[in-house]
Amino acid sequence: MEIQWDIKRLSFAYKGQPVLFDQLSFSLEAGTFSGVAGPNGVGKTTLIHLLGGSLKPQTGLILLEGQSVHRMSPSDLASRLALVRQHVAMPFGFTVQETVLMARIAHLDWRGFETQSDRDKVDEALCLTETQHLAHRSVNSLSGGERQRVFIARALAQDTPALILDEPTNYLDLKHQVAVYDLLKRIQIDQGKTIVTITHDMNMAMQYCDQVLLLGPGNGSEVVMGPPKEVLTSERIETVFGVPILSLTQGDRTIVAPMGQWHLET
Amino acid sequence: MRSLLTPARLTRILLAGLAVLLVTMLGCCLIGTEAVSLKAVFAPQIPGHSNPDYEIFVRIRLARVILAVIVGSALACSGAVFQGLLRNPLADPYILGISSGAGLGAMIAVMLGIQWTLWGRSPIAVFAFVGAIGTVALVWSIGRVAGKYHVTGLLLAGVVVNAFFSALIMFLTSLANSSQIQTTLFWLMGNLTEETWDVLWFSSGLVWAGVVGLFFLAPKLNAICLSDSDARSLGINVMAMRVCAFGIAAMITAVAVSLSGLIGFVGLIIPHAIRLIWGPDHRLLIPLSAITGGTFLVLADTVSRVLVAPAQLPVGVVTALVGGPIFMGLLIRYNSRLGGKG
Repeated sequence: MEIQWDIKRLSFAYKGQPVLFDQLSFSLEAGTFSGVAGPNGVGKTTLIHLLGGSLKPQTGLILLEGQSVHRMSPSDLASRLALVRQHVAMPFGFTVQETVLMARIAHLDWRGFETQSDRDKVDEALCLTETQHLAHRSVNSLSGGERQRVFIARALAQDTPALILDEPTNYLDLKHQVAVYDLLKRIQIDQGKTIVTITHDMNMAMQYCDQVLLLGPGNGSEVVMGPPKEVLTSERIETVFGVPILSLTQGDRTIVAPMGQWHLET
Repeated sequence: MRSLLTPARLTRILLAGLAVLLVTMLGCCLIGTEAVSLKAVFAPQIPGHSNPDYEIFVRIRLARVILAVIVGSALACSGAVFQGLLRNPLADPYILGISSGAGLGAMIAVMLGIQWTLWGRSPIAVFAFVGAIGTVALVWSIGRVAGKYHVTGLLLAGVVVNAFFSALIMFLTSLANSSQIQTTLFWLMGNLTEETWDVLWFSSGLVWAGVVGLFFLAPKLNAICLSDSDARSLGINVMAMRVCAFGIAAMITAVAVSLSGLIGFVGLIIPHAIRLIWGPDHRLLIPLSAITGGTFLVLADTVSRVLVAPAQLPVGVVTALVGGPIFMGLLIRYNSRLGGKG
């Protein structure tokens, strides 16, 4: 398998704060679906910003397709990697179509306009994410789920081999959570994209991810990586998150649920 | 529903805007205390005889109308750019301290009673220009030091520097004599007068070069409206792009301010009006704001010449009096449109 990301001895800490990652090394194969999980504040968002090149590690290398992300020009990076952030605020009334067209900024002609092939890519992305009917609506007028699909559409229109998402199912109801994961899985299978997503939902991670990176609390030394079934055992979830876990197995599927105090007493 | 912006559609809209601008300029050259006939203006020149219609039309009114176009274009265009860069609909060209910096410069020039001129410009204009550019540079460097959230840092630095320089202006005012206060106050209110053709050519060249430069930054400005990290992930060198856009917008604002003093509201309401009708795409917003801002200021200046003739109102008063209610109306409509699910 081709390697998409190769992380070598990565160390990172924010200025004046404890070390988040210490000599972290791992690699992600091309065309795989990876989940990044862990309690609040362990550095999940920091890690994906490191992978995306917008943060610089103190030591270590982050190689994307064999090249350091910090050596690439912004447009080079944008042709290899698309990012879906959490809840982007829109101060002006850009429509869905205008927003998704922004994915093509690195490819505009000399006048600053999209070519026909850019417009085709955007139509295709709107079609895949089932947001065509929203094309002329203002992004501000959309519901959380619709908005999330629009930003996934923009990442698809960027036409990159890799996709990073920061909690794409935040604020979504059950149906829309499943819809977003189904969409990402379809993109992975049909288009062979490499997908890295932050997730808080262990059950979703077990259902969709090829591998999980579980970041533990402490000084970042406890990063466990592997297939979800091996990483997300109920014992490990209990230790890492510090909450009792109820685990149910049905056939070859395991479902975990956190148990609050009031349940234990009954 | 807006259709997609294509080069053909952009050209059509801009040509229509230019046509409106030219008709407005012509009409406003004909309006005034003295009636002027176009026939007399373009009558063959008789050597030795002056043609009063021609003199009024070209030397007095046309010069002033062109000045209004330059100032209006610069303010509206830089207003659009500042709103986008700062992601703040309430931003205007003066938000980063340009107004108080220019005002302080003008006040110092008046207080020192300097008499010399530079390229035909009065010391007030030169000092105002230097004050404006210097203040933007100051605010920029404070904003950079202030922290990782550059936009918030800039806005806060702008507010603080504005307040500090306004206090300095007040301090100088308390020391000044009444004729110095009168001169400064008149300048602060915003005012258009007849300028020489050299000044007009030079400053219109600067302003239109700036507008063209900003047009080519427009697609990147669209992306920067979302967030810095978003723009970066779309392949934009955010810092370089921001330095360019701020630099050009500050430069054309400083040109406008040094020509006319502080004319308010043009830079705030024109970009909003354009967004409301044609959408927020900067490829259209930047050039059309420039054209419409020019048209608006020509009209406002004609009102200020004619309304209390033979006296004149400061044009800044007219733009604020006309612009305020228009802006309120737009705001109410804008909010109801954005809030709705339609």
